[in-house]
Amino acid sequence: MNLLIINLISWLIFFFGAAFPVLIMLKAIGLTGFMKVTRFESYHTFYYRMNPAVKIILGIVVMAVAALTIWWIGALMTVVILLTYLTLKDGKRKFATGFFLTMMTTIGTTWAFAPYTPYAILNEAFHGSALTSLWVWPSYFTVMGYQPDLTVQGLIYGFQISMRFTAVSLMSLVLVMTSTPSQVLRSLNKVGVPISITFSLVIAMRTVPRIFEYIDTSVKIQFMRGLGSRAPRFLRPFYVLVGAINGIVPVIVFLVRGAKDTAISADTRAFRAYQKRTYMRPATIGRVDRMAFSIIVLVILITVIAVLMGFGRGIPYNG
Amino acid sequence: MGLNGISGILNAPGEIPWEVVLLFFGAGLLFVFLWGKKTGGLAKFTTLDLIYIGMGAAFAVVWEFYIGAFLGKFIPPNPFFGIGYTGRLIALLIVAGLVRKVGVGMVAMFIFNLLSDLISYGFSGEPMYFLYEMLTYGLMMDIVIAIAGKNLFGIRSPSRKPSTGKGKIEANKNSGSPGLFSNIPAVYLAAIEGITIGVFWAVPEPLFYSGFIAPFLYGGVVDWGAILFGIVAFIPTAIIVGAIGGLITLRIVKAVGQ
Repeated sequence: MNLLIINLISWLIFFFGAAFPVLIMLKAIGLTGFMKVTRFESYHTFYYRMNPAVKIILGIVVMAVAALTIWWIGALMTVVILLTYLTLKDGKRKFATGFFLTMMTTIGTTWAFAPYTPYAILNEAFHGSALTSLWVWPSYFTVMGYQPDLTVQGLIYGFQISMRFTAVSLMSLVLVMTSTPSQVLRSLNKVGVPISITFSLVIAMRTVPRIFEYIDTSVKIQFMRGLGSRAPRFLRPFYVLVGAINGIVPVIVFLVRGAKDTAISADTRAFRAYQKRTYMRPATIGRVDRMAFSIIVLVILITVIAVLMGFGRGIPYNG
Repeated sequence: MGLNGISGILNAPGEIPWEVVLLFFGAGLLFVFLWGKKTGGLAKFTTLDLIYIGMGAAFAVVWEFYIGAFLGKFIPPNPFFGIGYTGRLIALLIVAGLVRKVGVGMVAMFIFNLLSDLISYGFSGEPMYFLYEMLTYGLMMDIVIAIAGKNLFGIRSPSRKPSTGKGKIEANKNSGSPGLFSNIPAVYLAAIEGITIGVFWAVPEPLFYSGFIAPFLYGGVVDWGAILFGIVAFIPTAIIVGAIGGLITLRIVKAVGQ
């Protein structure tokens, strides 16, 4: 009996780690939420006036700083960047989506590391202090690569690693949300990326939110036709997932059929007829960009000071 | 801690000698460069091809970061099946089926990498990932396309030529010769070529990534037993997913109307 309860709870914990982020995705963010954070919408605050190249540099700096410093600097950057989401168009909604995305990444990453990280690495990360066991898995869990025990240190370690990803993901989405594809095209061409490559990239950038939009439509149509109508209500989120997977191939066909119209419209505007393109509005470096640069310099300075003061990367990192 | 998340560790126990990797990447780059010179490089892709490549990369990204990423949480990490692999393989097979030109694998991998860097990774560990993914996954796909020639996935209509004089002459010259595989029914051919690419794709992750890239970027000990087991254990999945991917590709290309 006791064994049964242990097994039951272990599997419950296992499915919590897997299902909870999916539940956040389906309930709190939804396909429209993903569409919102991967699509450009016109507005006028500082991010929208910034040169896309500067935004890319900002992303790289945030990535480097999060990788070089102690976890709470990454956490601090995450909070600051998330707060700047409030200045975007429809800021509260984007802030909420950004918040849930961060939560999802944090729980997902913590769960991806906590049960698997070998004790040797945990010992190294926590300087040899004794590991506190929270839960003992049934012995066959080791087949899945689980360590015998779930430890407090494992959870902390997983959480600290997640702080390395959250800030840079949020910063990278800012680029997608606040620059038009043609702005990105212009600044990448300035760096010397061939026009064929940037064109393909811009098509990809524009396609990502459209995939969510069409999958959403496809799921709604399937619900109208009765998918999961007899299932109990609490299973409904999983029917969204089933519908989304069913919708993938039709969505691909629908999108790819539209590709010909895009190609014709690009060709009629003399795409690649000449080696170089000219632009009606050249990408310039303005006041906002200079401000952003000074922020970048400041962040780098703080990082150097932090590393010198011993707040460098405190934990070993694999994967 | 090294430059841009690269520790640059060359002497981890069991690591593939860096000379071998350098030789492989060097030869790969040289081959790409010479092949590009011979066939016209990026200019041989029509606007429509570039759009297909972009869309394929977008699907691969949506799968890798959103849909597949969460489905994958239900499956503990194991050497037998990878949900990310499945989605990426099928997305890239579809692009290859739509474009059907040597080079599409590498260009699509490049765009996929660039987009993942822009929306999530922030160029961490680059340019290692560009080299690794283009010259393993991309190159292997391109080799299969080159061997299959006009019979890729059983789609027998000629691929689009750019509207320059040289391209048109080549198109006329090619249209006469019958291909090696032209007697095999389209469905089988699609499955076989899907499987070939799938099996090829099962190798780099254990071999190159665990054997060199991971210890080079992050350090650690290389376990060759695990690598060999990883390759063998993954092959059944590669066969099944490759066959399904080939058939989906045939279906989509027919539905799109080439």
